[in-house]
Amino acid sequence: MPKEKNEIIIELKAVTKRYGFGDAESFALHNFDLTVKRGEFIMIMGPSGCGKTTLLNIIGLLDRPTSGQYLLNDKSVDHISSRKKAQFRANEIGFIFQNFNLIPNLSVIENVSLPLIYSGHHKTRRLKKADEILERFHLREREYYMPYQLSGGQQQRVAIARSLISKPSIILADEPTGNLDSRSSHIIMEELRDIHAQGNTIIMVTHNPSLTTYATRVINMLDGEIDTDIKTVDDSELPRPGSPERISVRILSKKRPVELEVDSKTKVVVSGEHVTIGDSNSIDAVTKPKPKKKLAKKPRKKIKPEKKEP
Amino acid sequence: MALLLNTHLHLAIDSLRRNRGRTFLSALGIAIGVASIVLILSLTGGINQLINANSDRNNADLILVRPLAGKNATESIIDEFTSNNQFTKSSLTLEDVKTISKIEKVSSTAPIAASTNAIKIGNRTVQSVDIVATNADFANIVSLRLKNGQFLESSLRKNVAVLGYDIAMQQFGGTESLAKTFNYNGQNFLVVGVLDKIDDPVNYNGVNLDDSVIIDIDFASTFESSIQIQQIDVRAETTDSVTAITESIHKELSKTKNGDQNFSVITSAEDMHPAGSLLSIVSGMLTLVASISLIVGGIGVMNIMLVSVSERTREIGIRKSVGASSGNILLQFLFESIILSISGGILGFILGYIGAFIISLMTPFAPHISWQIIIITSAVSLTVGILFGIYPAIKAANKDPITSLKYYR
Repeated sequence: MPKEKNEIIIELKAVTKRYGFGDAESFALHNFDLTVKRGEFIMIMGPSGCGKTTLLNIIGLLDRPTSGQYLLNDKSVDHISSRKKAQFRANEIGFIFQNFNLIPNLSVIENVSLPLIYSGHHKTRRLKKADEILERFHLREREYYMPYQLSGGQQQRVAIARSLISKPSIILADEPTGNLDSRSSHIIMEELRDIHAQGNTIIMVTHNPSLTTYATRVINMLDGEIDTDIKTVDDSELPRPGSPERISVRILSKKRPVELEVDSKTKVVVSGEHVTIGDSNSIDAVTKPKPKKKLAKKPRKKIKPEKKEP
Repeated sequence: MALLLNTHLHLAIDSLRRNRGRTFLSALGIAIGVASIVLILSLTGGINQLINANSDRNNADLILVRPLAGKNATESIIDEFTSNNQFTKSSLTLEDVKTISKIEKVSSTAPIAASTNAIKIGNRTVQSVDIVATNADFANIVSLRLKNGQFLESSLRKNVAVLGYDIAMQQFGGTESLAKTFNYNGQNFLVVGVLDKIDDPVNYNGVNLDDSVIIDIDFASTFESSIQIQQIDVRAETTDSVTAITESIHKELSKTKNGDQNFSVITSAEDMHPAGSLLSIVSGMLTLVASISLIVGGIGVMNIMLVSVSERTREIGIRKSVGASSGNILLQFLFESIILSISGGILGFILGYIGAFIISLMTPFAPHISWQIIIITSAVSLTVGILFGIYPAIKAANKDPITSLKYYR
């Protein structure tokens, strides 16, 4: 089914979340309206206790609003069973948390394949898919590491991989860089930008105003209501699935040239500070690493069975 | 669904493997309970087999008629033991013996009225001697061998007696006691025969014939006001006719007793043996006591599962947030406890069998593991797993994902 451009994924109508009664009554969300279109990268900012996390929990079907309407992919999810909600979480929603929330006694690949258990995939298929997605995040060598053996940034990348594995329509990130140093945050934000460029929809809660440069829309919340709502990118320019991939390369070693095949004809080679783009056949020779000199091996003597002389 | 169950099974096995020590200890709790049940059942099974092998050699054509006082089976069994020699009112009469003996294809019929009484040998009084009143057919039914003399016979005079081997040796000065006399209940009796030692002295008749004095029942009924028949032994001509005879006994006796069904007709080998039924009561009681230790083991499993649930609160939250439903979580934890208790059951079965084997080295019987024991133990451990695992699993399933994700340990 070809998806329409700028299709609406999430629609919240007058959503209210109230805690307590009478004098102790307080609103985490108050008559909150929000429409999210496919391909948006929304940053939600605001002081503590303004209802950002509650909003994410309601969108993620972990919490139910006191009143109001919630349409996910044009379907009302207000009165569906908790089992159905779990299915939505497995197939339509990806979560990224501030404290990564990986299961500590499962290996990286098992953590990444976790959502597929609940959408009913065989183990081999789960692991294969997880392997594919981990390769995209340059974590293939760490597949069988345990979470505690990874750095914070790596753990968060694993968590992002997990949120993406079932190809959800929306990714919810609750301060994904909150527990990370600036270098790791930068890497994580680059990853999120890549994911977004591939046509994924992201809603992210953050306290860090400098991160808003990544977003296509910035919402400021105050006391459970929208304070400001600024779109920095026009709806028609939002990325959509199938749009040409933005290729990002992190060069880990300057010594060895990095090759990238864009398609069957074009190739990009990054060698030191030189970048070559050309026909895959013509530049083939330039970049091929010199064959290592083989260690001279002593030719093995063939042992012939001794013939016993009669 | 099958795929999901399979996945949960693997999840459960994985998480149990991660806590090997804990898993082993809580499974051991179950194992001890199951082991004691297996031990008791296999040993009593062994004893039962030994008894049946001894007493049921050629009893396929045997039918027993016993009085029934309108009680349930267990009570009447206990009653048989406690009141064997007391004069509770028996519902069987000598008339019934005659009625049964007239039924087609019945080869021999013998009533048994046992009592314990004092006899006088010369001037000496011997207390508590088992007096068994029966008729001449008794020798055919029980296939008695005589050491000396002859058995009761209708052609003889009535006041004769046959001695058991032991009582002849102890009270009458040896097996050569023919023509000796004794006095019982004011009547003089002449000893006409002495029995040979019997292999299984206590058999389906419930009387130790080695210690008994056997007298004629028709004669006994002349001087004893009410003779109490505890049992009528009936032997069929062929094994095939047993069922038909059983039916006829029911029919004929009901007729003479005005429709009262105050008797029971027993044909199965195990029921015939009173010792066997007592043994089954005792083994049942022991099993009950052993199952208390199983309950303790089950509580151990529940405890461990509760610890595991609270330890893994965060994991539950994560699983729920990535799409696990409450049912998924419930199954995962339920499977863990079931696996725990079933592996405990298997371990217990092996331990119990080894224990029974070691004990059997010191006793004359071999442990007997029947398929019933295997079914009982597997059913019991499965039940324990579900029973004690369901509460922690429900607790895990009901956890709120938001608060679970905030949980720090």
